[in-house]
Amino acid sequence: MIGVGKMKQYSNVLDKPLSKGKQEVSLTAFAFLFSELVQYNQTQVDNIAELERRLEDAGYAVGSRVLELLCNREKGNRRETRLLGILSFVHSTVWKVLFGKVADSLEKGTEHEDEYMISEKELLVNRFISIPKDMGTFNCGAFVAGIVKGVLDNAGFPAVVTAHFVPIEGQQRPRTTILIKFAEEVLKREARLSQ
Amino acid sequence: MAPVGPRSGDAIFSSIDRVNAELFTLTYGAIVRQLLTDLEEVEEVNKQLDQMGYNIGIRLIDEFLAKSGVSRCVDFKETAEMIAKVGFKMFLGVTASVTSWDADGTCCSIILEDNPLVDFVELPDTCQGLYYCNILSGVIRGALEMVSMKTEVTWTRDVLRGDDAYELQVKLLKQVAEEYPYKDDE
Amino acid sequence: MAAIYSLYIINKSGGLIFYKDCGTKGRMDTNDSLRVASLWHSMHAISQQLSPVNGCSGIELLEADTFDLHCFQSLPGTKFFVVCEPGTPHMESLLRYIYELYTDYVLKNPFYEIEMPIRCELFDINLTQAVQSDRVALLGR
Repeated sequence: MIGVGKMKQYSNVLDKPLSKGKQEVSLTAFAFLFSELVQYNQTQVDNIAELERRLEDAGYAVGSRVLELLCNREKGNRRETRLLGILSFVHSTVWKVLFGKVADSLEKGTEHEDEYMISEKELLVNRFISIPKDMGTFNCGAFVAGIVKGVLDNAGFPAVVTAHFVPIEGQQRPRTTILIKFAEEVLKREARLSQ
Repeated sequence: MAPVGPRSGDAIFSSIDRVNAELFTLTYGAIVRQLLTDLEEVEEVNKQLDQMGYNIGIRLIDEFLAKSGVSRCVDFKETAEMIAKVGFKMFLGVTASVTSWDADGTCCSIILEDNPLVDFVELPDTCQGLYYCNILSGVIRGALEMVSMKTEVTWTRDVLRGDDAYELQVKLLKQVAEEYPYKDDE
Repeated sequence: MAAIYSLYIINKSGGLIFYKDCGTKGRMDTNDSLRVASLWHSMHAISQQLSPVNGCSGIELLEADTFDLHCFQSLPGTKFFVVCEPGTPHMESLLRYIYELYTDYVLKNPFYEIEMPIRCELFDINLTQAVQSDRVALLGR
């Protein structure tokens, strides 16, 4: 059914073919939208921890959908079952689609077996954002942490995911590290699968 | 370098930083979901989306002017063309056209040929009154207010609500004259 | 290379929202910079009235024996101006560039409240780089 305008209509959104994901909008449009997301959520909270949680929630909604979309489009409906597989999926595939590049690094935590870190010198969402001094260590990357959590949770890898500024020597601006701490069950399962 | 004269929307869009539209679409979806949860009433969500758009518009106008090299428009007709041909293209990468002018040139329609906000979206029964893209009308209203034009922007057609196109009606209410800002008490 | 003395941004209602001095010469304390901003806001408005024809947008360049003042006003009404040694080149390009930095690092920052004083680290960092004389020369190309 083709309407009078140029827009093609579908009786159901599921009938519509999945887009190839090549369409783009300006970074400006995204930056202003993200800024509004942060500003709106600031009006809904009393403290910074709550603001972080709400940004994480918003990101989670994005992450769970990105997982569905990418498993369908990029991986022929296959899903990762192993820890390193899903981490590399986040660090490479998810990052590339959402942020136009693979993340700068993926590392295993040195002190804790269950921790992994994805780091980015300049996180896309933070490109234009300066955190006021009175907000301490708050990082709008909480939204991205939420995306990562949304992907991991829905892929069967529950984890606590947080965003942190980490100073880099010789650089004026810190990088952002997304810290992933997997649930105990994930590590137990992984150990079983490795046997 | 000072830009010389208006640049085309295509030229600007291809020269600026861009992101995957899916990040934008899904982030917008997350915002709408938060609003529906927080505000419960669909009517309130429509209002909040419009307000958020307005907040964006009053900031985004400067970037529009800085990047496009557009200066003052001669009349509202030219303004509407600029929004459709340059504005929508440079920010959202989509083309829009202006139609349905009224006799005195103060009211027209902008029809979007594509709309990156609505990919993956279908309105559930509980949200039938929702103007899902209401942020866009707010952006236009806010941006025009910063260049001295009071407008009313409303959705007249919305594919998500069963129409055959996305159509915004832009109505010029008042052109605020430049005021002499010097006051004696300053 | 002629030197830039200072940079100002004033909001629509004439309030100083950003001030930066760039060298050892021509520094001002807070009160003086506020006074200059408010003076300039008024002079700029009066200058529009001097025009014999309609549609004048105000002084763009003021030349004096001890300084030049270049001003750029955006259509929404924010004024950016730079005070420098007489004859310093490329100031129009610099102001245009600062306007773009403002649209990026001030207006896209969710923690910036519109019309209020600008306290954005990224804006400062980028601005400091822009006013270095070798960078200014690049802008002129």
